[in-house]
Amino acid sequence: MSDHSGLLPGTLDLLILKAVSLGKLHGYGVLLRIEQISGGALQIQQGALYPALYRLEHQGLIDSEWGTSDNNRRAKFYQLTATGRRRLGEETASWNRLADAIARSLATTPQEL
Amino acid sequence: MRSRVRSLWRALTGRTPVEREMDAEFRLHMELRAEDLMRAGLAAVDAKRQARLEFGIPERYKHEARRARGLLPFDALGVSWLDFKLGGRMLVRYPGLTVVGGLAAAFAIAVGAGVFEFATQTMSPALPFPEPDRLVAVRLWDPARLREERRVTGELAVWRSLRTVRDLGAFRATERNLTGAGVATGEPVVVAELDASAFRVARAAPALGRLLVDADAATGAAPVAVISHELWRARFAADPRVVGRAVRLGERPVTVVGVTAPGFGFPLYHDVCVPFPSGPPVDATSPGPEILRIFGRLAPGATLEAARAELAAATARAAAELPPSHARMRPRVDTFADAVSQPLMTGDPRAVIGLQLFLVALVVLVFGNVALLVFARAATRESELVARSALGATRARIVTQLFAEALVLGGLGAAGGLAVAAAVVRWTFREMQSQGTRLPFWMHESLAPRTMLWAAALTLLGAAVSGVLPGLKITRGLQARLRQAAAGAGGVRLGGVWTAVIVAQVALTVAFPVTAFFARRDAQQLRTFDPGLPTRQYLVARLEMEQETASGTRGDTSTDALVRRARAAAVALEQQAESQPGVVGVSFASVLPAMDHPQRRIEIEGLARQDSANAPRVSSVDAAPDWFAVTGAPALAGRLLAAGDVGTRAVVVNAAFVRHVLRGGPAVGQRVRYLDPDDEDAPRPVGWQASPWYEIVGVVPDLGMSDGSDPNETGAGIYRPAAPGPSTYLAVRVAGDPRAFATRLRELAAGVDPTLRLYDVKSLDQVPAAGQRATTFLYQALAVVSALALLLSLTGIYTVMALTVARRTREIGVRVALGSDRRRVVAAIFRRPLTQVGAGVLAGALIVALLVRGVLGRLTAVEVAFVAVYAALMMGVCLLACVVPTRRALGVEPTVALRAE
Repeated sequence: MSDHSGLLPGTLDLLILKAVSLGKLHGYGVLLRIEQISGGALQIQQGALYPALYRLEHQGLIDSEWGTSDNNRRAKFYQLTATGRRRLGEETASWNRLADAIARSLATTPQEL
Repeated sequence: MRSRVRSLWRALTGRTPVEREMDAEFRLHMELRAEDLMRAGLAAVDAKRQARLEFGIPERYKHEARRARGLLPFDALGVSWLDFKLGGRMLVRYPGLTVVGGLAAAFAIAVGAGVFEFATQTMSPALPFPEPDRLVAVRLWDPARLREERRVTGELAVWRSLRTVRDLGAFRATERNLTGAGVATGEPVVVAELDASAFRVARAAPALGRLLVDADAATGAAPVAVISHELWRARFAADPRVVGRAVRLGERPVTVVGVTAPGFGFPLYHDVCVPFPSGPPVDATSPGPEILRIFGRLAPGATLEAARAELAAATARAAAELPPSHARMRPRVDTFADAVSQPLMTGDPRAVIGLQLFLVALVVLVFGNVALLVFARAATRESELVARSALGATRARIVTQLFAEALVLGGLGAAGGLAVAAAVVRWTFREMQSQGTRLPFWMHESLAPRTMLWAAALTLLGAAVSGVLPGLKITRGLQARLRQAAAGAGGVRLGGVWTAVIVAQVALTVAFPVTAFFARRDAQQLRTFDPGLPTRQYLVARLEMEQETASGTRGDTSTDALVRRARAAAVALEQQAESQPGVVGVSFASVLPAMDHPQRRIEIEGLARQDSANAPRVSSVDAAPDWFAVTGAPALAGRLLAAGDVGTRAVVVNAAFVRHVLRGGPAVGQRVRYLDPDDEDAPRPVGWQASPWYEIVGVVPDLGMSDGSDPNETGAGIYRPAAPGPSTYLAVRVAGDPRAFATRLRELAAGVDPTLRLYDVKSLDQVPAAGQRATTFLYQALAVVSALALLLSLTGIYTVMALTVARRTREIGVRVALGSDRRRVVAAIFRRPLTQVGAGVLAGALIVALLVRGVLGRLTAVEVAFVAVYAALMMGVCLLACVVPTRRALGVEPTVALRAE
């Protein structure tokens, strides 16, 4: 996989799914949306977004169609499929479990052992 | 899965559009980013540079994107849509190769697919049911006789108790006349006695009414029947009110309760289903009636192995209750598909594999011929290939391109071949059905999907042979030739393999049309065969008497009783038919004129007895004494048969008998006996040497005592006086169109005795038609194959010659310019191709000679001359293919030749 700095492996796909679950987006829009919803905390190597988008499309998790952007330019828009929506739910739950576990682990004090 | 296939397909077929899309997306991204940066205060130039930097290297992401879509393996091969487009363009640019190669491919695929379809349908049928692998058949295997024992008795009860096999049921078939109000009269119907579980096993649903249920078989239940969809359409005119109608099967009244779905015939085929008779077997120690099939479905969770183990254990437990004769028999459970195909392939799965190997070999051979042509074309494109190689194309890339071109050509031919195969399969099925062959329910007249897959695999193989092989050969040493190209030296040559291909091709070209010629001779003989009587005036039919008597009860089932009933019915039918208007006469015979007559060896009293192999073989017909009166045949010598002759040893012979057996000598008063028993299949009684002597009392004209198909049959024959038996042929001589009398005849027969069955009711001139159609078809098929072989062969020879000349144009030019004798130049160049053609013609002539000696039998002098002239002609035609390139070579101007590459 490409090096999208600051991201754990596999999390880019999850973020893309989340971004497009909030509405139809073109590639650059996905980038902006991720920055927006992460409060600018997550930086993505911009070009790396596209192989991830194609992979998700290939897996049938997102769908694409050509349309017109806000400023009237031809752009390819991505949206979540039913499978993608299911996957997003599973991945979110799994991520939360992992995050909880890690948080708990890191919060452990010597007294608790 | 679907999205993956779609994504891969789009990426493969539209590689350029996909790349273009990616470019557009990347560009838009960078533009939007630059605009954002400009809004943040950057100058336009800086914003654009910054956006590009942030994006990264587009080519790298494109590569990753292709990997994400699973395209990298294809990139390695270098296949692109362009290759296929180029292949399409090549078809137009080289129409000769397109036609010849396409026809060859079509032929190979047609044979490959057609034979595969027949083989899989008979050897490994695909059953049209849910979970066909769980359908099983239980059989009693007789290891001593290596066959299935169908007289299953007490075993059935044991098998029904199995827990691993559910819904065990039995099936046997009989034929009955179907009569009743609103039933169109026609051929007798196949009645299946079937356990109701058959419908559960096959998961069948009725088209109308209901199917059989277990209660139908209970003692005292009302007799019911379920009819097939096909019978419903044919005999009941698809009348929806058929449910509840009372009909008769033979003499047994039944009520129709339902119609099966179209095509349903489990477990074999049938027109009518009635419940399998219930109740305990008559006597466990006596052989029961023949059961054709015992079937069931594996219980949920049970495996075939578990069923086998349970069956073995149950059989061992029940051994004491089974007849002693069955002690050595082994019951077996197999999947239903294995059980139905087993008798056909005698338990050897290698038959299928062997056949597949044969088909693969055929495809390789035919496409090998195409490869020769492709190779020649590639050789003429050598400069293009050298140039591409110089520009950096790898060998794999060039071979891939040639493969793609071959695939386009092969695919085109394969599509045509599949269409031909589908037509032939359909024709054959219809032909078999029109001749009364009943096909098992799982056989279908269309090509199965797996045959399509098989054809696709064969096409890929063919494309590999005809694309990759020439590609590898032409690209071998391409780099070396690249260095020599400027000097104009070298060039590709045809090696030993190609020589073998050409020789084999020419040999087949010579041999095929000869076989076609003889097949045509047979077809013509059949067509022009004169049975010696006006066949258009006779309506004929096969009569069969049912063994069972009225109302299905088994009264006196002895053979004598059957013969008496048959005789009475035949006499009654004859009397009633003769009283009909337009009927000239009615008679009976064991074989009809122009049918295939069984041959029997005979001996003439007083003539030196010959060893058994050389004893004369003649036809023998048991005919009613009025046979000659009805056919209007006069006595050529002596007298005709009379009613009083039945039961005596008086016989008449035909004119051919006098000519061929008695060598024109006197016939009347001679005595003759048979050295073969009446029934060829029955075991010969111990000590049986010959039949009693029969006395010839008269001679009659030849009345079609052979079907004309075998030139070795003389048509000599003997007529024995006989009364009609339980299985005989009926001939009705009618003034006018005999077929108009068919319906009336059926009505009369049904009135005389409902158990008297009529088959194949047709006019006598239609009798030999079936054989004729098959022979004509064979001839036409051979003619097509011959024409293809000829075309391929001539094109091959022409190609090789043209290639030879093209390779050596410069040499020819130089030699002619230096004053060489043109004849010597020609001889030097064409020595090798001519040797190949000569060897091919010789090999072909040898094949023909072997064929003529081994298979085709006697030839007339004219036919021998024909074969000789034909071989010479073929040599000439093959040489003709050399003429054009030769003339071109000699016409080359030396200045042109020196400029040639």
